[in-house]
Amino acid sequence: MAHYAMLIDASRCTGCAACRIACQMQWQLPPEVFFNRLEFREQGTYPNVRQDIVPVQCMHCDNPPCLKVCPTGATYKRADGMVLIDHGKCIGCKYCMVACPYDVRQMNERGVPEKCRFCAGHVETGGQPPCVATCMNDVRIFGDLDDPNSEISKELKRRDVFQLAAHKGTKPRVFYVKSKK
Amino acid sequence: MRTFSRRTFLKAAAAATIAGAMPLAGDFTGFVRGAAEAPVTRTPSTCNGCSTNCAMFVYVKNGRLWKLEGNPIAMKNEGKLCARAYGVAADVYNPDRVQQPMKRVGDKFEPISWGQAFKEIGDKLTKIIDKHTGSSVLWLCHGGKEAYAQMLLDEIGSANYVTHYSTCFTSKTNAWDKMVGTQLTSDINRAKYMVFAGRNYAGGIMPGAMKKLMRAKERGAKIVVIDPRLCELAKIADEWIPIRPGTDLALYLGLAHTLISEKLYNESFVRQYVFGFDEFWQANRHFTAEKAAAICDIPAETIRRLAREMARNAPASFLEPGYHGLHNHYVNSTQIAQANVIVNALLGNFYQHGGLMPSASPKLGKLALPKRLQPEKGARADGAGVNNEYPTVETSRGIAQHMPDLIAAGKVKALFIYHFNPLRTAPDPEYQKRIINAELVVSIPVDWNETSVHAAHYILPEHYFLERMEAPKPISGNIAHDYPQVAMRFPALKPLHNTKDVLDILKGIAKAMNIDDLYPFTVEEDAAAQLKPLGITVDKLREVGCYEVPEAIKPGFPMKDGKPALNTVTGQVEFSVGIFKLHGRQGVPTWIPPLVSPKADNEFRLIHGKQPWHSHSVTSNNPHLLAITKSYNGTWMWINKGRAEKLGIKNGDIVTLEAKIEYKGERRTVQKSIPARVTEMLHPECVWIPSGYGNFSPRARFGYQQGVNYNDFAPARVEPLSGGCMVQEVIVTVRKGGN
Ligand code: SF4
Ligand code: SF4
Repeated sequence: MAHYAMLIDASRCTGCAACRIACQMQWQLPPEVFFNRLEFREQGTYPNVRQDIVPVQCMHCDNPPCLKVCPTGATYKRADGMVLIDHGKCIGCKYCMVACPYDVRQMNERGVPEKCRFCAGHVETGGQPPCVATCMNDVRIFGDLDDPNSEISKELKRRDVFQLAAHKGTKPRVFYVKSKK
Repeated sequence: MRTFSRRTFLKAAAAATIAGAMPLAGDFTGFVRGAAEAPVTRTPSTCNGCSTNCAMFVYVKNGRLWKLEGNPIAMKNEGKLCARAYGVAADVYNPDRVQQPMKRVGDKFEPISWGQAFKEIGDKLTKIIDKHTGSSVLWLCHGGKEAYAQMLLDEIGSANYVTHYSTCFTSKTNAWDKMVGTQLTSDINRAKYMVFAGRNYAGGIMPGAMKKLMRAKERGAKIVVIDPRLCELAKIADEWIPIRPGTDLALYLGLAHTLISEKLYNESFVRQYVFGFDEFWQANRHFTAEKAAAICDIPAETIRRLAREMARNAPASFLEPGYHGLHNHYVNSTQIAQANVIVNALLGNFYQHGGLMPSASPKLGKLALPKRLQPEKGARADGAGVNNEYPTVETSRGIAQHMPDLIAAGKVKALFIYHFNPLRTAPDPEYQKRIINAELVVSIPVDWNETSVHAAHYILPEHYFLERMEAPKPISGNIAHDYPQVAMRFPALKPLHNTKDVLDILKGIAKAMNIDDLYPFTVEEDAAAQLKPLGITVDKLREVGCYEVPEAIKPGFPMKDGKPALNTVTGQVEFSVGIFKLHGRQGVPTWIPPLVSPKADNEFRLIHGKQPWHSHSVTSNNPHLLAITKSYNGTWMWINKGRAEKLGIKNGDIVTLEAKIEYKGERRTVQKSIPARVTEMLHPECVWIPSGYGNFSPRARFGYQQGVNYNDFAPARVEPLSGGCMVQEVIVTVRKGGN
């Protein structure tokens, strides 16, 4: 059994949004529905200023608050770590949208609060999520933590990493590289 | 929190059933689920989102576009694609495509058959040529792939092949051509120290350049970005150095002065390979780093440090030759390009690994066609290369922004506009609209762009790029790569509308003009002939998408009989350009101040640049890319916080920009309103707007009236040496409040 995770090095991101639209195409999403977003922040004063950009998406938490509040079991967690939604069971109550500390759920055109699917159905056979594959700056690494030879396993060992809002106990499967600056 | 009600549940469930049952062609949404088992085809193509031409594979499921993947071989994208690639691909289904030939009737368009369109255009063209010669016909295009159009021009005796490049970068290619006889490119893969000015590979994206830059960073190379704005490339650079816009020439001259006065330059390179060093030094020996600093707003110590660092790492260092950001947009752009050549030559990095290398280009073959008896060509209508007009402008590129003048002067009677939208991407749209006054204006677009809507008499829609095959495209230029490459577009989708590819359009027109057998071939036959010398077939390229010739280019200055053998008069790098002198100009660059400068508290220089998810015009009507714009307030005008505060402007406030267009009898005041992005990431003396907005074609509905465009504020001027449009020589006043 695989254990999927993602590592994001935000210091490499230049905010091009290719990840967003590549994902939209993979999943044939309309323009307003997108599974990953960018957080922009500038720091300092001219000319001593810097720009931070952080790509944010569903963290596929091991302790997912969205799952806990879902009244129908539409949100579920697969054994390989993916948090997914059974569209048939979803009643559109939006509890999950409110519960998610990362604000990554978005109502789709059919009234289902959608989010990143970790490319379920595409990665099991070795495919890379398009947000990973298309990124010219190789901001994201995706892979199987159970495979010690996977790039992500190696990088997680080598790098100093953290998780967003870890104090909420969500245990995200998306890790971020600590910035040196 | 909204509570769940039975009613919403039912509604959602019902909607889901209906939507699930109807995967709509022409709608980007949900068909994946229903078609999980459907056959998928994978066809190689190249992206049409900008002129980088990233190679990619197009996945089609159930006859409908699904997704894209970058081709890992192609050196300009190394398997990567930017957002624009997906946007322009999805635009194949954009309802605002021109879906069949159109003819202007009054201020409306009426559908017309291809046969009728060819006949009418052919008749008119024949009459115009009979009366005014072929020289009155002009082909205006983006540039880069119009060999077929060239054949028609040859046949009718027209020298008027004009590209959009004068609105983009020709001061650079012109200076390089005249000083070096070729264009060298930065060898990012092996460089140790790289200085970028006027080139933002993360905004005007070239994915392969970013891949290479990221690898360079990982191996410890240094990246310095000089830009009035903390641009996307500066974000990942080791150092961002803001500069007063319009003064890069001063910086370059200051760098050159430091290199020479501190004897940091490569003397043996200069001795062997440079012509005109003394003339340059005589003219600039007093232009010290201090002098440069006072002009460009970068401390003299920083200028000297940059020069020293570059010299320490030479020849594995470069001052990147730059692109749209600096070139053509200032009165001194030609001299900027000249000074760039000079700084690099002083580093001795020409033809050196890690410095500037030639760009490897495959030697393609040519279709053997019977020789035709063709008329002699007259002078160019645009004045490029013409004595007493623009004698030093490159004739291979021409001048694009003054068409209405040529039409008013009776020089141009018939105009073909192919894959180009001068009404939006050239200065002063009100002026450009007068293109309609030509006797015949034929636009060959894919969408209802401004030029088609406001200036064309006939619109002949081309197949979308995913629907057509195109002759092989060398993948070379801009960044160095050791091996020549070639890629090709194959049709991934069946044409959706009543469109044709450009070869068939030209065949139709030629036939209607009674020109027989001008194009006795198909695109595929042409492609086969071009690929032949490489020893590959069209089918092979169909399989791999991008082919790399296994023969590497080697470093080393070109020599012949023991002498430097560049394609210049002396065979050397010429610091002084003879042909500039011949026409009464200075051969070497010296400081030339910008044409205009902001003075009052409410005055700013208006500059622009590419946003990572838009190109200038081809992407601007795409709903997905515009949704990104919406998420990130992408149309907003950047203004320095300190300056904004003085004018009482807060982030998100609507401001009004005003400029006066006073040029050659034009006298107009332009006012446009736009929200302000108040930022610390911009030089205080300018405002910056992204280049992909301000659409005014009501038939391109998604982008219509979103944002403003820099071209609205600039007159259609022509820089005399290289033909540039100088659109950053514009001062706007900014005030709080809407128009
Ligand atoms: S594709 Fe990469 S660089 Fe571009 S926004 Fe996404 S993560 Fe950032
Ligand atoms: S850089 Fe982007 S828009 Fe340009 S060709 Fe490549 S993928 Fe297309």
